[in-house]
Amino acid sequence: MFTNAVLSGLTLGGVYALVAMGLTIQYGVSRTMNLGYGEFSIAAAFAVFVMFGAFGISPYLLAILVLPVAFGLSWLVYRVMLMPIVRRAKSPLALEIDSLLLTFGLLFVIMGIMLLMFGSDYTSYSYLSVPIRIFDATVALNRLASFGAAVLVGAVAYWLLMHTRTGMALRAVSVDPIGARLVGIDVNWAAGLAFGLGGAIAALGGILISTYMTFTAEMGVVFTMKALIVVIMAGVGHVLGALIAGLVLGLIEAFVATYLDTGLTVAVIYAVFLLALILRPQGIFGRVAR
Amino acid sequence: MLEVSNLSVRYGRHLALEDAALTAGEGEIVVVLGSNGAGKSTLIKAMAGLVRTEPGARVMLEGKPLHKLPAHRIVDAGLALVPEGRHLFGTLTVAENLMLGAFLPRTRDKADESMEKVFAVFPKLKERLAQVAGTMSGGEQQMVAIGRAMMTCPRLLLLDEPSLGLSPLLTSELFKALPSIAETGTSVLLVEQNSHQSLAIADRGYLIEKGVITGEGTAKELLESADVQKAYLGG
Repeated sequence: MFTNAVLSGLTLGGVYALVAMGLTIQYGVSRTMNLGYGEFSIAAAFAVFVMFGAFGISPYLLAILVLPVAFGLSWLVYRVMLMPIVRRAKSPLALEIDSLLLTFGLLFVIMGIMLLMFGSDYTSYSYLSVPIRIFDATVALNRLASFGAAVLVGAVAYWLLMHTRTGMALRAVSVDPIGARLVGIDVNWAAGLAFGLGGAIAALGGILISTYMTFTAEMGVVFTMKALIVVIMAGVGHVLGALIAGLVLGLIEAFVATYLDTGLTVAVIYAVFLLALILRPQGIFGRVAR
Repeated sequence: MLEVSNLSVRYGRHLALEDAALTAGEGEIVVVLGSNGAGKSTLIKAMAGLVRTEPGARVMLEGKPLHKLPAHRIVDAGLALVPEGRHLFGTLTVAENLMLGAFLPRTRDKADESMEKVFAVFPKLKERLAQVAGTMSGGEQQMVAIGRAMMTCPRLLLLDEPSLGLSPLLTSELFKALPSIAETGTSVLLVEQNSHQSLAIADRGYLIEKGVITGEGTAKELLESADVQKAYLGG
């Protein structure tokens, strides 16, 4: 039972870590909070569900098609919806509040469209559900593959942020937007890029999870909330912290579900979140762009 | 090479800067002297595009108009600002801070060359490349901030009260570095309250009071002027 809990915790946590990383990039660089974040995950899950059903193409190959679209749409959300409020924001706090309200609306628009198209039923499809034995436990191949993909993409994205000029520019904007302007970085360009990257990562997370979990049109907000908890717990803009905290969150969920009760997972996660906020309000890892 | 005219800034109903005009020549060090709240920072931020200016403002650098450009384009046009509070990338290393100074395509190829120039002025930074910038002392951070601005290959370097929060010893060390920057052809314009030390290294100066430029002269004239003596040099 223990190995089972660890395995399902790690596989789920890997995807949480990836999704949280996307949100922390968006939030850290653009300083706008995107409550519609999880809708990108669910929309991508539905897109893959439809195309997988129609053509039988692997969700992993479909991801190559869906991710650029998610990037573009997310970029558009920033340029069209958020840039006007960035321009008129009087303070960083005002910008956060304005963006919360605006993207709260975006959440309902995207959710409404999905409800119209797919209804509110639970949806799932079967892909790579082959049991694999690891030690004394069995785990489905689709879970392992998702974990592998999440780790791979997370590692590549982290490397790009740390070692490329563009990655360094994104981190610079997240640390000090005024300093960034003073070295010639177009902050709106950086924020748009961060939004696009975040949207693509959210979409990938949704696709990976859809290969082994049921989902509904109304589930986006759960993704957003879990990602938000991880981001705030780790410290805003802290990419490595988000990866670690995401894994831990997945493990906590799996252990609570295995040893206590599945219904308690959300309650325990919020309790841990509350504890982290009380003990380290600036985030467990602090607010750094590392 | 720098010509500023009609530069006004309004914060709500308060006119913080009124019709400011000034010039700086190639390789010249110019200081703008004023007390707290006289509009020094506003003047320098307006030139760098960090605050909105009133219509009619003109900032020309080597014949190029800067007053309509956003801040990041102004940097590309050759004007670099070392702001009040420095705005370093505190959690990044000194090396990363300096490399970000060479972010613009125009400056990328010259990054190694620029880095050598920075080390020639501030040899200390060479040993500190791996240090996280936020963990340095105030004086060292000011060196990184100036170094980062130098990495943008500016034609004009603006400094907003570089002596603020530094000991007199560090201030004089920092001010000694400015003529060596100017010698490379980069003009330097700084705003200061610290009149003695800044006039000692400057070629020319302006006086600013309540948002209005009230006087100008060579550094020598200003040092000897009775008004300046009374207002800024403590009798």
